[in-house]
Amino acid sequence: MKRLAYFTADEHRVYAWSGGRLDLEAKFPVDEVGVAAFREYLAGHRGALFSVVVDLAGEDFHEELIPYLRGNDREQVIRRRLAQRYRDTRLAAALSLGYVSGERRNERLLLTSFTNTQRLAPWLDALIESEAKMAGMFSVPLLAPALAARLGVKGGRCFVVNANSAGLRQCYVDNGRLRFARLERAADMTPEAFAAFVRSETGRLAQYLSTLRVLPRDAPPVHVVVIAPPGQRAVFEQALVSDARLSFVTVDLAEAAQRLGVKSAPAGMGAEQLYLHLAVRRPPREQFARREERRGYFLWQLQRGLVAAGALGLAACTLYAGAAWLDILSARGETARVRTDSRADQQQYERLFSTFPVTQTTTENMRATVQEFTRIAQRSGSPEQTLRYVSRVLEDFPQIEIDSLLWSVDRPAEGGKPAAGGATTAKPKPGAQAEVLEIQGRVTAMRRSEYRAITAEVQRFADALRADPSFQVQRTQLPFDVTSEGTLSGDIGTASEGGEAPRFTIYLARGLP
Amino acid sequence: MNLSAREVRQLALPLAAFMVLLTAGAWLVFWVQDKSAAEARLLAQARLERTQVKERLMRIAEEEREVKEKLKVYQQLKALGILGEEQRLEWADAMSRIRSELELPDLRYRVERQRPLASVPGKPGTVDFYASAMRVELALLHEGDLFGLLWALRSSGKAYYAVRRCAITRTGVAAATPNLSPRLRAECEIDLITIVDHGAKA
Repeated sequence: MKRLAYFTADEHRVYAWSGGRLDLEAKFPVDEVGVAAFREYLAGHRGALFSVVVDLAGEDFHEELIPYLRGNDREQVIRRRLAQRYRDTRLAAALSLGYVSGERRNERLLLTSFTNTQRLAPWLDALIESEAKMAGMFSVPLLAPALAARLGVKGGRCFVVNANSAGLRQCYVDNGRLRFARLERAADMTPEAFAAFVRSETGRLAQYLSTLRVLPRDAPPVHVVVIAPPGQRAVFEQALVSDARLSFVTVDLAEAAQRLGVKSAPAGMGAEQLYLHLAVRRPPREQFARREERRGYFLWQLQRGLVAAGALGLAACTLYAGAAWLDILSARGETARVRTDSRADQQQYERLFSTFPVTQTTTENMRATVQEFTRIAQRSGSPEQTLRYVSRVLEDFPQIEIDSLLWSVDRPAEGGKPAAGGATTAKPKPGAQAEVLEIQGRVTAMRRSEYRAITAEVQRFADALRADPSFQVQRTQLPFDVTSEGTLSGDIGTASEGGEAPRFTIYLARGLP
Repeated sequence: MNLSAREVRQLALPLAAFMVLLTAGAWLVFWVQDKSAAEARLLAQARLERTQVKERLMRIAEEEREVKEKLKVYQQLKALGILGEEQRLEWADAMSRIRSELELPDLRYRVERQRPLASVPGKPGTVDFYASAMRVELALLHEGDLFGLLWALRSSGKAYYAVRRCAITRTGVAAATPNLSPRLRAECEIDLITIVDHGAKA
């Protein structure tokens, strides 16, 4: 809940504002007794959050040009200008009216203050001493641009005219910025008389502003938004006839309150309800309270800001967690669906598998056993086939006599040089296991000196062994070394010529899968 | 804006609340991310299993054919006594029987200690292959005796006989000698391979 102190020349009031509802909490006379009562009231509401709205006649508005500055320099220049203009700057403010481009860029300022600040000082002192959190101190004109905007004025020049408790309030707003305001006391009048009074006072205001050249003479008609007291709109519309200078639009107070979002206000309350509501919901940046006076409010804002930031962080995290949780739920659903499908497939597999022949082991072990055994068996050879093959070939070579056969399963030698006396070589499959048969024999029925015939016979035998392409003659070691690298020797005509027949060796290989 | 000590004290509680709320939020995010990662892992695992099961189901016809083929071999291995523990006494009996059946003049053998040959991973247990090297020396009237020995050994079963080496040499007895003296001598090295399937039902 927020509280609004509404200061007028006749009476000071405190309203409680909550959710667009305004309730009158207290009234105070504008004398010493009133101040004491106000202090007493504040003592019962220590630390309350206050906004002050001042609705007094005797406001000063003065335009100034200052150099284009920012930050502290601007603050200092504004402070100096306010001090030059006003004797008491406690309730003075500077409103920016925009920038003027010329030889030098300048800023237009509207300096404003109250002509008699002394009568407000004790009330403000009481408020500050009570440790109330002062959100801001505004005059009604400071809130007028926000009101004009809420009532549909998009830009241009306009007068906002309404009847407050303090009197007839007229504010001149130029392109959303306050330029001038005045408060005229209004005695009790009939609606017709009050409407006529509004008409004449608005005309006077326009005349005054034209005289000051604040309002250009040849400008289009000024838009005048008049907030009529409840039920008097028709009377006002009849009295407020637009002309070449002024274009009137009348809005009923109840309608204006509705547009602003005021849900309820004390009966008989004037248009100040709109300004009080705006002081809470749309407080302007420029206002009269000094930074020191608002320190408690800043601290309160900081406290709330910290908690709000924490809550916002938690909310963001919760939101993220919520979204992630939805993903988790979706993933869970997907996992469950996939598992159900897997189970169904597994059951179908098991159903089909149950029709398989009964085994004494698991399928995996059976597969491993058979595969590895097959591999071992394929690498194992058998001498019978090779020996039978050699035996068949030998039938065509009666002169050749075998001395020994050495069969083995081995990795045959690769790319080796032919051995001494080697005549021919065949390349084995690189890296493969092979059956290798070493055949040692002799060529009989020939004399030792018939080396050409013996060599030819061994070569013929080796060639015959090559007939089956599955067999490879890896190396042939001839009885005589006829290569250039070897040593050739002979013993012609001696007794040894008829001795033991020369030996040869043939290496026969057969690849294994 | 410089804060006084009193103002700082006034801010302590909101600051603590801010920290608590942010910590709670961070913990919540961490927790949900952890859960999300765990759920993603479960989903990936479920999808992998599903793919595997689906592939197995698609291959079942092929698997059935493979099982039938492999079962045939497996049962043969079992029937031949290749699958199972070594039966050295059976081997010794077989050697004696073969010698008398083939009327071999001389037959000597020596079986070395068993050595592991290969271990293949299976499910639920491994399949281990063992080999025992046997060295055989025999006198031959002719090379057909060697063929007979090898054929008889294979027929006797109780192991898979992988011949590693065989050497045939002449004894020096002349071919024209009329008596039945061995003219050839053979020395063979044979691996006696047996298989132990640790996944087989007892």
